[in-house]
Amino acid sequence: MKAAQKEKKKKLTKGDITFSVINYTVFILITLVCVYPFYYMIINTISANDLSANGFINFLPRNIHLDNYRQVLQLSGLPTAALVSLGRTVIGTACTVMASAFLGFMFTQEKMWHRKFWYRFFVITMYFNAGLIPMFITMKNLHLTNTFWVYIIPAIVQPFNIILVKTYIESIPKALQEAAEIDGAGILTVFWKIILPTAKPILATIAIFAAVGQWNSFQDTLIYITDQKLYSLQYLLYTYINQASSLAAMVRSSGTGAISAAMVATQQTPTSIRMTVSVIVVLPILFVYPIFQRFFVQGIMIGSVKG
Amino acid sequence: MTKKNTRQSRRLFYCIVPFVILSFLFSYFPLHGWIYAFFDYKPPLSLSQCEFVGLKWFETLFANKTQVSQMIQVMKNTFAMSLLGILTSILPLGFAIFLNEVQCKWFKKLVQTLTTLPNFISWVLVYSVAFSLFTDSGMVNTLLQNLGVITEPIKFLDSDAQTYLWMTLWNIWKGLGWGAIMYLAAIAGIDAELYEAARVDGANRFQLMKNITLPALMPTFFVLLMMAVANFLNNGMDQYYVFQNSFNKEHIQVLDLYVYNIGMTGSSLSLATAISMLKSIISVTLLMIVNFVSKKTRGESII
Amino acid sequence: MKKKAISILLCAAMVSSMALAGCGGKEKQQASGGKNSDGTYEEFITVDVFDSLANYQGMQSGWFAKVVKDKFNMELNIIAPNVAGGGDTLFQTRSAAGNLGDLVISGTANGRFADMVKAGLLLDMTDLLKDKDVLKNYEAAIENANELVEQEGIWGLPSEISNQSPEVSSDGIEPLVAPYVRWDAYKKAGYPEMETLEDLIPVMKTMQENTPESDSGKKTYAISLFKDWDGNMMVGAKNYASLYGYQELGFVMASADGSDIQDITDEDSLYVQALKFLFQANQEGLVDPESTTQNYDMLSNKYRDGQILTSLWSYQGPALYNTTEHKEEGKGYMPALIKDMKPYSNGSYSEGNANTIIAIGSQAKDPERMADFIDWLYSPEGVRISEQANGAAGPEGLTWEMQDGKAVLTEFGSKALPSNDVAVPEEWGGGSWKDGVSALNFKAVSVADIDTTTNEPYMTTMWSSELEKNNTQLDQEWQEYAGGAKTTLEFLESKDAVAVAPGTSYTQPTESSDITTLRNQCKAAIVDSSWQMIFAKDEGEFQSILEEMQDTVKGLGYEQVLELDMQNAKDQAAARVEAVEAYNSQNADAE
Repeated sequence: MKAAQKEKKKKLTKGDITFSVINYTVFILITLVCVYPFYYMIINTISANDLSANGFINFLPRNIHLDNYRQVLQLSGLPTAALVSLGRTVIGTACTVMASAFLGFMFTQEKMWHRKFWYRFFVITMYFNAGLIPMFITMKNLHLTNTFWVYIIPAIVQPFNIILVKTYIESIPKALQEAAEIDGAGILTVFWKIILPTAKPILATIAIFAAVGQWNSFQDTLIYITDQKLYSLQYLLYTYINQASSLAAMVRSSGTGAISAAMVATQQTPTSIRMTVSVIVVLPILFVYPIFQRFFVQGIMIGSVKG
Repeated sequence: MTKKNTRQSRRLFYCIVPFVILSFLFSYFPLHGWIYAFFDYKPPLSLSQCEFVGLKWFETLFANKTQVSQMIQVMKNTFAMSLLGILTSILPLGFAIFLNEVQCKWFKKLVQTLTTLPNFISWVLVYSVAFSLFTDSGMVNTLLQNLGVITEPIKFLDSDAQTYLWMTLWNIWKGLGWGAIMYLAAIAGIDAELYEAARVDGANRFQLMKNITLPALMPTFFVLLMMAVANFLNNGMDQYYVFQNSFNKEHIQVLDLYVYNIGMTGSSLSLATAISMLKSIISVTLLMIVNFVSKKTRGESII
Repeated sequence: MKKKAISILLCAAMVSSMALAGCGGKEKQQASGGKNSDGTYEEFITVDVFDSLANYQGMQSGWFAKVVKDKFNMELNIIAPNVAGGGDTLFQTRSAAGNLGDLVISGTANGRFADMVKAGLLLDMTDLLKDKDVLKNYEAAIENANELVEQEGIWGLPSEISNQSPEVSSDGIEPLVAPYVRWDAYKKAGYPEMETLEDLIPVMKTMQENTPESDSGKKTYAISLFKDWDGNMMVGAKNYASLYGYQELGFVMASADGSDIQDITDEDSLYVQALKFLFQANQEGLVDPESTTQNYDMLSNKYRDGQILTSLWSYQGPALYNTTEHKEEGKGYMPALIKDMKPYSNGSYSEGNANTIIAIGSQAKDPERMADFIDWLYSPEGVRISEQANGAAGPEGLTWEMQDGKAVLTEFGSKALPSNDVAVPEEWGGGSWKDGVSALNFKAVSVADIDTTTNEPYMTTMWSSELEKNNTQLDQEWQEYAGGAKTTLEFLESKDAVAVAPGTSYTQPTESSDITTLRNQCKAAIVDSSWQMIFAKDEGEFQSILEEMQDTVKGLGYEQVLELDMQNAKDQAAARVEAVEAYNSQNADAE
């Protein structure tokens, strides 16, 4: 590998340089376009609220303060909610990744009884939506409402992830598994010893998907949870945003507008709250992301496993 | 098949039984709720206290000529947006291939991380940012006016010109980096020996990209493509909801948004169920068709 | 082997989760009435309040929580659909589970009250309320509201009950709409007189010229609109029709006195005239071009910055900009007079407002205590304390006291009201005043009513001692213009320019789902066309969009919906007449 790189460096042609310049430039531009809105949100949430409300904060923050963040971080129940979110993200992701890896692998086993049928059985559920009330009643009958497990168990089987894993495993040479089987390895040994290590990049990918999904989800809390000790972070913040906008709406419905409006006037605007919340929620993702990244920049030397 | 084989094949199946049960419990069993589509369900009443209306909800959307013509426009929009979405689904693939050509590791990681950022910003906030940038007194118009490029502010947000294009661009911006993750994972799984062997044979950079990287990504691409086709009717509504206004409504109103605009506010759970049921059926049918086509043309089915 | 292990693990996980769920979901124990002879309650309980008016979700805290704890030995767990999000989701799931909460505060529109009773979610309070004051004081109103339900019994109590005549405005000091203008700009223009709405256009033009920049240096506009509250019609235009005493009901605008009911798509209707007015204003460059894309939040920011020179709602311009500093500089929004206007105002609900009710849930833990609590909410003390967020004073001795037979705010009160972040003394419960305000947001009795303890309205801003405090430069200038009037409503009443729609217990009847769907399709067409008409290039385009809209809605089946709305409006008008007659005859009897 290193030798190859060295060799290549020696042979850097004009074309290579042009390509690199263009390639880097394009990626820098794309990155800037992607980062700016997020940057915009950060500088607006730390600048004086009246300046940001009037659209004066576009490139650099002014009159920096952290009130917006202080307000959100003082929310009652925040630590518990953060813990719940962390818990569901870790446990939920682990379950989903293991289940998807296992199922994805099993569906590559052509010998399985009615493999195609069962694969389709899982895949088409992606396109179903039973609706709110039936789902609620099902969960209630399973005694899952108001338990932590309502975050985990329904999310274990994720057809999309299964498809991704299956597609990936199919691209790995069959010879690997066959060789192991000849050595007398059982199906689970093959899964554990051969498939899991080689599938690391795709597992990292679905781990990211599952983790982000768990971390960002608030609908399930809304529908299935009434116990405030089980609120997820996202839901708590979501209600905080709703509270701000519903105060504005109350002003409209209340005949005695002027009085309640004074409340609204001193409050932060729903938009500034929304932005603050969004920054708070996204930052942890950004810090955790590189951990997963390790798995797919590495690259797997299938050859070496084989040899 | 020998007895031993049958036993083995059964045994393989038993392994997945727990998951079959889970899937049944949480995906199939609640489908009995589709029955709501045939009632006039009005919470808080229970279903037995509500009137059975048969296929009424399926007919409501097409009851008269104006509704039909509205529906035709809505379907046009849905198809246009979905088609553009499918056509541009090649971009994350390209993004991944070219990012793979970047040698500098920290740059690669940084780009990969930062380009996923838009995916995490809710559409409501995207609109807030878009508003501050593109409105009449927004940054872009102010800048262009100061440079003397234009005299009158450009109506970015409330003109119906190129609505499809704008919406597609927003979509690409939001999904590009995120969509590329899967492809980057697939690239990481390519046997490095293949590249070395090809290089020894004197292949240049573009030949490597074309002959090794691209083919390795194709299975993933086709699976995703097929799912996108099956999802033809499901554009989601958040994006279109926040960007809609009275001036671009005609072209921005996709099926999901239309359903929201006419149904949700009246909180007709039954109508919503009927539509979601219809959509499920169409999606699954499309899935079957695409799968069949794939079998005929590529020689392998996708699911 | 391992596969077995995995499946066993999974099963174990599922079983244990179910076991856990079983433990968590222990049946609530039926508490015995447990009231001691001295009126205290034995057992401390947590009361779930399903409250569709609340803007806060969670346990009630602070000084109001202390009041409730001391009086009823309970705490309030507020369940607020507004905050929980997902629209009607919470209501749907909770009613599917058969238990909304111990207390229920809910809207009744579209037959919901009757449905809740039919679904067995509410408790009959007949026996519980038998000897209570609330029944003695408000029996007629309570009976009236319960006529919405087929079953005999008292299932819910209406809100905003009033002892005043239905023809007296319940709005307190500000009507629904009024032509607030930036007074400094209007003054610079020389207080030009306005005969009709059309005369407002040149005035706005002058104002926009004499005040071209906002506080932060942005370009000002006379009018700015937003889209997110548009319902059956465009709110921004509807408000101008309300200036002339009309209010919306579905697709019709009905006049306050019931004499006129207009189809809003009709070319001669006030609604279309209002669109025309806005169109003309736009032709003159008076309408903010960002109106089409901004939302309420963005517009509020503009009002805070003084970018918009007129406002129809008191809670936009005046509430957001009239800070003490601005008022002392003579800057702020004050109502001007347009001679032919007659702004719409809601009358007092002598029969109670049956659009929102309070009820006891059928699974309530301690129904007797709930009834006691409700009784208290309707008592003068209850109104003062629980309706503080709606303008009442709060606990006597803390925020206000009697001085020389007059109610005045204490020093603490003037700092803390209406809802400020001021520390509350420990003996009153501690915490911040703002956080301790009752989150119920339920108006049992109208705050514009007279509190028999103080002989002044519950609303502190209507107290004579408070009105005297309005003496900034802006107040003085305006009071001079207004001939000594202290409030908008007083000013309008002095000019005989207010249309009070008698308050009734009328609620719109159940609407079939077909009609609702049709309505939603029609309203999309109406709202979109309204916007396009305002921003039309010329008169011809305005006209052609109007005609196209009329055709579209007709094609959709507008007639059916309109017929229903017309009927509702007629019923409402009849109910208004009845309410006035009932009140008058009752009071005649009393005398």
